[in-house]
Amino acid sequence: MTTFLTFTILGLVLGAVYAIAASGLVLTYTTSGIFNFAHGAQAMLGTFLYWQFTYGWGWPAWLSLIVVVGVAGPAMGALLHTLIMKGLRETADVTKIVVTVAILLGMVYLSQWIWHPEDARIMEMFFGAGAKIEFGGVVVRVHELICLVVAVAVAIGLRLLFTRTRVGVVMRGAVDDPDLLRLGGHDPDRIAMLSWAMGSTLAVLAGILVTPIGGGALEANQLTLLVIDAFAAAMFGRLRSIPRTFAGAMVLGMAATYVMAFFPTEWTWTGNLRVSLPMIILFVVLIVLPQDRLRVAAVRTRERYRPPTPRSAAVWGVALVAAVFLLALLMDDGSITTFALGMTFAIIALSLTLLTGYAGEINLAPLSFGAVGTIIAFHFGVTGSGLASRLTLWGVLLAVLVTAVVGGLVALPALRLRGLYLALATMAFGVFLSNMVLRDTVEHTVFGVTFSIFPNGTLIVPPLRVGPLDLRDPRTFLMTATVLFALIAVGLAALRAGGYGRRLAAMKDSPAATAMLGQNLVKLKFGVFMLSAAIAGLGGVLMASAGGSVAGDNFSIMASLALVMLTVVGGIGYISGALFGGLMAGVGFTIMVATFNDLAVVHPSMETIYKTIGQLLVVATALIGMGVGENPSGNVHKIVEGYRTLRGAKGLLAGAAAVEAVLYVLALTGVVGNWWFAILTVCLAMALPVAGRMRAEAPVRATPLELAGLDEPYTDELRERLDRELGLPVRERTAGKEASVHAAA
Amino acid sequence: MNEQVPLLELAGARAAYGPIQVLHGVDLKVHPGSVVALLGPNGGGKSTTMKVCAGLLPLTGGELRLAGRRVNGMTAQDAARLGVCSIPEGRGVFPNLTVRENLWAATGTGARLADLEEAAYSRFPILGERRHQLAGSLSGGQQQMLALSRALGTDPAILLLDELSMGLAPMIVTQMYDTVAQLVAEGLSVLVAEQFARVVLPIADTAALMLHGRVVASGRPGDIEDQLSSSYLGG
Repeated sequence: MTTFLTFTILGLVLGAVYAIAASGLVLTYTTSGIFNFAHGAQAMLGTFLYWQFTYGWGWPAWLSLIVVVGVAGPAMGALLHTLIMKGLRETADVTKIVVTVAILLGMVYLSQWIWHPEDARIMEMFFGAGAKIEFGGVVVRVHELICLVVAVAVAIGLRLLFTRTRVGVVMRGAVDDPDLLRLGGHDPDRIAMLSWAMGSTLAVLAGILVTPIGGGALEANQLTLLVIDAFAAAMFGRLRSIPRTFAGAMVLGMAATYVMAFFPTEWTWTGNLRVSLPMIILFVVLIVLPQDRLRVAAVRTRERYRPPTPRSAAVWGVALVAAVFLLALLMDDGSITTFALGMTFAIIALSLTLLTGYAGEINLAPLSFGAVGTIIAFHFGVTGSGLASRLTLWGVLLAVLVTAVVGGLVALPALRLRGLYLALATMAFGVFLSNMVLRDTVEHTVFGVTFSIFPNGTLIVPPLRVGPLDLRDPRTFLMTATVLFALIAVGLAALRAGGYGRRLAAMKDSPAATAMLGQNLVKLKFGVFMLSAAIAGLGGVLMASAGGSVAGDNFSIMASLALVMLTVVGGIGYISGALFGGLMAGVGFTIMVATFNDLAVVHPSMETIYKTIGQLLVVATALIGMGVGENPSGNVHKIVEGYRTLRGAKGLLAGAAAVEAVLYVLALTGVVGNWWFAILTVCLAMALPVAGRMRAEAPVRATPLELAGLDEPYTDELRERLDRELGLPVRERTAGKEASVHAAA
Repeated sequence: MNEQVPLLELAGARAAYGPIQVLHGVDLKVHPGSVVALLGPNGGGKSTTMKVCAGLLPLTGGELRLAGRRVNGMTAQDAARLGVCSIPEGRGVFPNLTVRENLWAATGTGARLADLEEAAYSRFPILGERRHQLAGSLSGGQQQMLALSRALGTDPAILLLDELSMGLAPMIVTQMYDTVAQLVAEGLSVLVAEQFARVVLPIADTAALMLHGRVVASGRPGDIEDQLSSSYLGG
């Protein structure tokens, strides 16, 4: 009985911390409509700051508490709102999600830069772990008591705020109709800023309280994910109700401790289950709780995508293959392997182009589907042993097929979900997979078959061999991956241009209207999910075999989030966006950090500067992600748009091509180094649109047709132009005039 | 008050949604204590005019004057504090707040909640019975009553009403306009945009007809009524 009570109290304490974190999340969501994925990262940053003050600089605990919870927390929230969140009105769900994900990643990178992840940092409980109080045989630490008291205070405080104060009532109204608030004399921006400041403070508070309970060691990723567990609690209250959020948090906390306490010790997966329990609960809650009804009106957003024609996609595909072939001639084998790895990531990113860009469904865990494919290929697709071992074509096909089925299975319960809810469900699946399956390194015996899903924590995946095509050679691997990318891309373009693609686009714009037209939404979603999972599975297998071996960490949710973010930065509705996102997420980071580390080794005097630049670049990548709110259609597209001014400038283009060709030949013959080639090529590519704009100085912009005649007199010439553009038959103007003259006469 | 200075005046007002210009020079005057009815078919620019007057949409040209003073570029918050009470198209209520909380949210301009409740519940007793019910679960007519209550207790200088009749039963519409007529009798100035002219012309002092983003005619309600059918039907 005492054991039960002890674990109940422990569960309540954990639940209390979840509740504090989740209520902050609910607060920001209800007032601004933005689900803050960076909530955990804010908690993490605040906790590191607290550690720095108290343990790094030896401030008294009360002082650092005041500074961190009272000043840094609110300031962080207010700053986030003013700089970033304010600009996110009227953007699609995926943009809002990606911006907060970018903030999450940026904060994690930042903390790893400031506080080196390999140093151990321990946080003690308040009043020490020894301070205890005993109630009838049950021992409770003072720190745990503090957690409970703070949670109760937060619950009562929020309740009072939302029902008994005007500012609280107005906060709840803000998400319904900010314009109406303005008409009532309130300032919605100030209200939202206040709620972000409070939400951020609650996150920081939760982080400081939870760290000593979880063992006291500070680790950026882990702490971030710990607070993300609170998402499940927030979902209990459907992101609105604070009391239900608290109830959910308690259920979550107690379930976690009971699993630890009462599951048989011989069950090796109990520890993994305990870690992934919040995500399992999140998945279940998402599916079981009733969802918002389909919105009838189409949501107007700022994203605009122009789908490519299959013909232009094919031309670009051939150009890509040719460019990669030429580039590969310049590189050594090591770089080619890295490049090939990036290309396999780009294939995984293509699954996002189809699912998110074309169909408007969100998947935050594309790499998890890649992991499924990799596991299948490893177990069923390898022949031979040692250096002679190869993947078989059948193995790869089986992996793709199984991934598609798994994708369907994940989507099946999630079919009722949309937007944010679907994103959370896929994230829950991703975290669950990393915690339960990819950490499952022990052997199981089921029905007499002994196996382990992820032996020794790494999978050795050999390259593929199909007939004469052997991918052991990195050059062949790179070209095969590129050709596959191009083929899938052209296939997607053809799909988008066809009837199926139009149905997907219709579903994206207005599910209700699509349903009214007689389309089966469930079938559409199911199909597109399976297809997208299959592409991700293929990419995953190739990625694993490009690197030779993979560990569970290669498929972690953070890696998935980075891939999604960079793909959206590149332009989720465009294939070029997938190429950019894949290359950047797959190898961009590695190259950037490695380059500057190399430079630091070569020039020891400049070591700090080079290392700082390398770290800055990594954080800057996340900054680009935050900028998505400004330019939600993607950056690659913007660059391509810049080239439109060059359409008529044949001479300029030919000249640039000639310069590039000379550069290439110089690089090939070793006259200029590869770095110079890369830098000069980038300069050329950047300079071209600028030159194009200068050439087309003061462009005489014709009035668009639909605006003709609004700001100018409506003349006969204008009427003729309209007729001409609309393809109407030419009017006999003079004859008509004469006729009217006659009639008047 | 000087009769010559209109309470609210638009002079050559232009406004646009992005690149699409909607108002092409609107001239409109609301004198103190008068009711101006803004009539016209769909897409004439009535709602846009109302938004401009409420400060929700900035002018791209021309002038907006309140009591003779140029207030171009004022925000909706400023407008509300200056005594412009605007009931927007559709339901001007927060569906996820209770009736009482809606009234509370309406006190942003300095009114007291008790006064507002008193005024609303005495005028519309049904709201008093349902003060703890979510506004989203009220009937359309009750929601409009709640929206109109904001004008009752906050003591505005001018009331902007946009399509008060939208989606309501004729009996409710009559009841709403009775309330408006009482407010006018107490000295409030009103600018009302309405697609269905018949319900609003009896209480209007002046009527203005809007077509294609311009006021094409204005005058006594009786005179304008004669032009209505031809302009509505595009004759």
